[in-house]
Amino acid sequence: MIFIHLVILAISMILGFVFSYLAIMEEDLLKAVIYSAGQGVMFSIAFYILMAPDVLLAYIAIAIGIYTALLVFVISKTERKEVV
Amino acid sequence: MKRGHIIALGVFIALILLVSLGITFVGKVPMTTDVRPLGLFYLKNSYFGNYAARSPEVVTSILWDYRGLDTLFETGVFFLAIISALALFRIEKKEEKVKEKGEGFTFIVKDTVRIISVLIVAVSAAIALHGHLTPGGGFQGGSALAVVPLLIIVAFSKYALEGRGLTKDTAMIVRSIGLISIIILVLIPLAAGGYLMQNLPVFPSHILGQLTSGSLVFYNLFEYIAVGAGFTAVFLLLSIPEKVFHKIIGGEKE
Repeated sequence: MIFIHLVILAISMILGFVFSYLAIMEEDLLKAVIYSAGQGVMFSIAFYILMAPDVLLAYIAIAIGIYTALLVFVISKTERKEVV
Repeated sequence: MKRGHIIALGVFIALILLVSLGITFVGKVPMTTDVRPLGLFYLKNSYFGNYAARSPEVVTSILWDYRGLDTLFETGVFFLAIISALALFRIEKKEEKVKEKGEGFTFIVKDTVRIISVLIVAVSAAIALHGHLTPGGGFQGGSALAVVPLLIIVAFSKYALEGRGLTKDTAMIVRSIGLISIIILVLIPLAAGGYLMQNLPVFPSHILGQLTSGSLVFYNLFEYIAVGAGFTAVFLLLSIPEKVFHKIIGGEKE
């Protein structure tokens, strides 16, 4: 049973890593925010498997709802494309 | 996706897998199955015993009872963050409403938001008010509650909230009520001859036959109100259109 949990943990962490890599490399900031929210979903699965439901409940509301929305508000006040 | 991205991702994923497999099978990290003495104390004494908080939820009893002052100052940090956001926006005049022409979202989005917001309010209240029984608590419930005004601002507009009386000032008043109630709760045991933030002998562990774990349920309730209203105030400020904001501040010209 614990093996299945560890496999789910590994998959969710790797997917979370992929999402965070995409969020960093993406030049369209709005897409980057959405990738970041995907990373939040994956990390919340990891928190659930690591038996931290208290952290999960705060994280899922902040990382996926509030943080994403704050960044979308901020992007709407600046430009959408990242200029290097 | 570009080819370089795929290569970089592949290398990193392979590294993660190698390191984790290596630690598991070669490094032989000892898997601890027993609880440390301090953790054991909390587990044994959160419900039974002389130092109990009478709460089956160990995390909440640590947050608001054993390490209560930590959480109190954490609430203070959150309070300062909201205050600094308000100071940055420095809006005193009443803003005028801009009517922009447009269709808005379809009725599918609007009706979904109407149904979902009621559900989220109920779930967040359950998270906060059952904080002393199940995982969750005031901050978790409050941040879940703050998603509701956010959804309404996105699906309708900020004027849908302000037309129903939920302006920035109301949110700030509600938040201040929550914070003042927390401070009063902190000071009550002092008046009853105990210590700051003392829980059990001062507050009753059962009210009307229901387990309320002393002051935990009250702390969770007021933190829920304060966090939800604080986030709402910040969202209402952030959703002011940029044109209106420039007009109020009177700074740079378009």
